[in-house]
Amino acid sequence: MKKILLSFLLAVPILGYSQSYQVNLQGQKQTAMGGAGTGVALDEAAVFFNPGAVSFLKQNGVQAGVSPIFLKAAFRENGSNVTEYTKDKLATPVMGYGVFGSPESRLRFGLGIYTPFGGAVHWDPNWTGKYAVTSLDLQAIYIQPTLSYKITDHIGIGAGLVYALGKVDLKRAVPITLNDGTSSTAELKGTSANFGWNAGIYVETISGVTIGVTHRSQVTAKVKDGDAIFNVPDALKSGFPTKFSANLPLPATSSIGLGFHPSAATVIAVDANWVHWSTYKVLAFDYNNNSRIPNTSSPRNYHDGAALRAGIQNQTTKRLALRAGAGYAFTPVGKGYVTPEVPDANRLLLSAGLGYKATDRFSVDLSFLYEKVMSRNETNIETGLSGTFKTVAYIPGISLSYKW
Amino acid sequence: MNSKFIFRSILAVAVVATASCKPTLKEITPSKGSADFTRYIAVGNSLTSGYADGGLYLDGQQNSFPLMIATQMQTVGGGSFSTPFFTAAQADGTGHKKLSGFTPTGDPIVTDVPAQAVRGSITLPGFGTVALLTKYTGDLNNYGVPGIRLNQITYAPLGNVNPYFERLLPGNSPTNNTPYLNFVTAKPFTFFSMWLGNNDVLLYATGGADTPSDFPTDKATFTALYNAAANALVTGGAGGTGAKGVVATVPDVLSTPYFTTVTLQALLTAVQAAAPTVQAIFIKTGAGVSRPATTADYFLLPLKAANVIGVPNASGYPYGLDPRNPVESKYVLDKDEAASIVDYTTSYNNTIRSVAAAKGLALFDANALFKSYAAGRVVNGVAVNASYITGNLFSLDGIHLTPMGYAIVANEFIKSINSQYGSSIPTVDVTKYRGVKFP
Repeated sequence: MKKILLSFLLAVPILGYSQSYQVNLQGQKQTAMGGAGTGVALDEAAVFFNPGAVSFLKQNGVQAGVSPIFLKAAFRENGSNVTEYTKDKLATPVMGYGVFGSPESRLRFGLGIYTPFGGAVHWDPNWTGKYAVTSLDLQAIYIQPTLSYKITDHIGIGAGLVYALGKVDLKRAVPITLNDGTSSTAELKGTSANFGWNAGIYVETISGVTIGVTHRSQVTAKVKDGDAIFNVPDALKSGFPTKFSANLPLPATSSIGLGFHPSAATVIAVDANWVHWSTYKVLAFDYNNNSRIPNTSSPRNYHDGAALRAGIQNQTTKRLALRAGAGYAFTPVGKGYVTPEVPDANRLLLSAGLGYKATDRFSVDLSFLYEKVMSRNETNIETGLSGTFKTVAYIPGISLSYKW
Repeated sequence: MNSKFIFRSILAVAVVATASCKPTLKEITPSKGSADFTRYIAVGNSLTSGYADGGLYLDGQQNSFPLMIATQMQTVGGGSFSTPFFTAAQADGTGHKKLSGFTPTGDPIVTDVPAQAVRGSITLPGFGTVALLTKYTGDLNNYGVPGIRLNQITYAPLGNVNPYFERLLPGNSPTNNTPYLNFVTAKPFTFFSMWLGNNDVLLYATGGADTPSDFPTDKATFTALYNAAANALVTGGAGGTGAKGVVATVPDVLSTPYFTTVTLQALLTAVQAAAPTVQAIFIKTGAGVSRPATTADYFLLPLKAANVIGVPNASGYPYGLDPRNPVESKYVLDKDEAASIVDYTTSYNNTIRSVAAAKGLALFDANALFKSYAAGRVVNGVAVNASYITGNLFSLDGIHLTPMGYAIVANEFIKSINSQYGSSIPTVDVTKYRGVKFP
């Protein structure tokens, strides 16, 4: 067993996922291949990875999957000997795709539901950074109807309209002492519904290498009249707001991907992503009552981030496919701007997975992604919170698909 | 490869991954450096005792900076630390102030919580009536005595007239004759903190420079006594083999809310709401002159609560608004008095710095620290400044600190100790400590 394990660990690096609150878990096959998939027409998840490749899929099909994220972040304040950890809190990004239309026709239809942004970070309510954040639950689910058209036998284009449903729940302590000696708290809860788009081109070259180029637009999640729940001393309560508004950019991503097909059984995918994080300048909250607290504007000043991903799939037997991948994501968060709601840093992604075709129509895909966010010692310029952050995530995933 | 093999491999990876799920930060090993924290004693005044909200009470004692430091020292070989706590049944101690609400115009309503730990009183010729507090018996590491001045540490009758010192001594007033310095050095110790000298200038300032007996201690006397105290403490007490320690400078009292909350502008604005023609507030200076106040003069916090501005005297002159009925000197620190306080503070601090350097003691520059917080700082997301009630640093008396303020002080002491002795005592988590309690 030890030997198997060792050889597995050494030989099979796995794929990765994310930057800041971006989540890259949109398909189990692709997740198992380091998150690469822009330049290959693998399965129905092409609706997300490259709408241009949808018209190249050989079969119609539907699939549904989930990737529960086991994430643990650690923080130690500089000068302290105490390490604090986030609580176990499961985020479960879901994904589902369908591809329809006649496989012989040039025009195909797709529908995708996926979770490109999210997070669930829960610190102890009394931790060192409680006045910055105690918990953040964030989720943006995109629903994307898609058209894909094969211009020639070797070039496909596709585009989808994105309807983005957002949900945010942010909690933190407020530095006003209640009569029982504990801190006041604030919770900001709201939802959003906004539009965006996703488009791509897919090309099969004469050499056999496939190429994909895609762009997913920015969606600005606009929360209007969200609930601002302040638990503050009674003597001050009337001066605190009950509603808030905020805009959170869900940035655009441009990708280029290559697919190599060294044998009939093997596919190698390589992707480069450019995430346009530089639009995330501030996290601002506007309140409906400013007599006790002003509107806030916390600087974020992200710069654009990039990720490189590569993965391989081998159809080992008729029924079994093995996959592995690796990736590296460069953080968009600059020095002084790391915050505990998203303690981001450069991250290494390793992934592996397998697909098992139970029948000609049914198959199951499993993936496992390990993500190591590098340790980072930072002093935040807004809160002065100073210490070392380190995060790891373990993300198993499963999807079921049915083809016809 | 068969599929069973693959499944087993994946399972193995999952098991290993789950087992190592926590991110691990680089190990740190706290060290005591060249110091020895086996028995740490804290020598000082009200700030050392945990005095807050205008009184000494259990909650304040539990949040004293020496106790915080001692708790952190225990990671580097520090011993147990005893504080002369009031009992839970007498938790309100000498009584203290509390915030009970706000007036319709937003002014804080501060009320008094009565004392619980008074066992009686005694009238001493020449000193008046002195309260007697419930005695504390037991081990002692926190020797903080509210009200003590440096020029009283060798004064034998202090144990009869200072109720906080009297409660620590075995004998009853008026039979005590152990000077403070002898008392703290009666047992061996390995490390000390000494934060003395504040009251040698503070009491004069908080009394509006109106009480001649509070006049600042003579500068040369201060230097001689500070050297004497340091010389006694570095020996490590009776039977000791020497001690290392940390000393602290005297903070700038004029930047505390006690002197900055009631301003000339605020007083004028309040008066002008009813009497728009009023252009000046008249004060009686230390020299006995009645003149209009300027922004260089300081009004004291109790003036607000006294609620006397504009009240006519027997001759019909409104208080503070007529040169013939000026604001009394006890409520005012005029420009010259303030300058004198700054002068004495600077001189004391020069002495403290030079003694620390000469003896190789760690130095915490409290004066610089409080100046930097008076300007406003952010600590782990908390705005900390010298604003009364809302600044998170000062308690309701406007001079002593909140638990959060004491935690900030504890960390500065720890940093000074670490830097002088090469130790790595961990700092405390400031956010675990509260500011002023709101109703």
